[in-house]
Amino acid sequence: MPDFFTSIGTLLDGSFLQSGALWALSTIPGFPPIIQTVHILGIAVVMGSVVLLDLRILGLAVPSQKISEMTNRLMPWLWWALASNLISGSFFLFGRPLRYFNNPVFGWKVSFLIPAILVTLFFHLMSRRQEGYWESSSKRLWSARGIALLSLFLWIMVAMAGRWIAYAEYIYYPA
Amino acid sequence: MEFLNSPKWIDVENWPISWEIGGTSWFPFLESIHVIAAAFVVGSILMVDLRLLGIAAVKYSISTLSKELVPWTWGAFVIATITGLGMFITRAASHVVNPAFQWKMVLLALAGANMAYFHFRVYKNIAQWDNAAPTPIQLKIVGSLSLFLWSGVMLAGRWVGHII
Repeated sequence: MPDFFTSIGTLLDGSFLQSGALWALSTIPGFPPIIQTVHILGIAVVMGSVVLLDLRILGLAVPSQKISEMTNRLMPWLWWALASNLISGSFFLFGRPLRYFNNPVFGWKVSFLIPAILVTLFFHLMSRRQEGYWESSSKRLWSARGIALLSLFLWIMVAMAGRWIAYAEYIYYPA
Repeated sequence: MEFLNSPKWIDVENWPISWEIGGTSWFPFLESIHVIAAAFVVGSILMVDLRLLGIAAVKYSISTLSKELVPWTWGAFVIATITGLGMFITRAASHVVNPAFQWKMVLLALAGANMAYFHFRVYKNIAQWDNAAPTPIQLKIVGSLSLFLWSGVMLAGRWVGHII
């Protein structure tokens, strides 16, 4: 793991953020599974927004919906879901920062998440710049397909890596 | 519910395939596919449910949305079921008596019944409300029940891992 990454963990360890998160996780009845469900519902919105849009761009799903209309309609849902997941995820991150910031699988998740956000943001911003931007020429449509394929891969890997964090931490958690 | 305590569930746990899944990376692999598929089940039905509530995608008819989205929901559901069964057999005897697992199965059955009610009863009068926005109360109830029940399936499913 890069040093700056582990130092974030060290910084958070013992902070008030940790004590607050641990308090919520251990005091509120059922808080861990409830907050995890909120996190997975956020992933469901990722599936129902950007992943569905990617499938549409690739010509696999919802043929009656237009790419530009879908982008403008669905992207706000994605950004709100990501904000929600940042909050729900941070309870676990702040609760045991050393576990996450020393876990290579969490590192992978972040390294899939950042490009996934950037690629999606780029797609959304170009779409907002001009009505029907991605459908206006065949060159742009092919770029959109390339972006959709990349985006699909990245978002699935984010979810996949997220689930593997819990398995890798048995190996990597510093005792 | 005598069958829940049957020793047959222990036999299931002792199938060679159960040992193979439970003792290798197969388990986390199946679990991550399960989570992605389950998220896709909810994500793909979400647009239909919100349309039934009259909240989102109102420019599309309800029949077009469900025709184009529900097959994806079913596909993801099949994947979730197969991967779920793969995990289930590794701890079958514990799962059947796990209250979270039992709740999950009950909520799944209710979500299925709600879908069946929509498809076989409500759908008959489609011409009356296909393009409606706002939608009639009957559709609002079906849509909110679907959202509520599927979220419940997720919550119970996630809770299974905290009890086992």
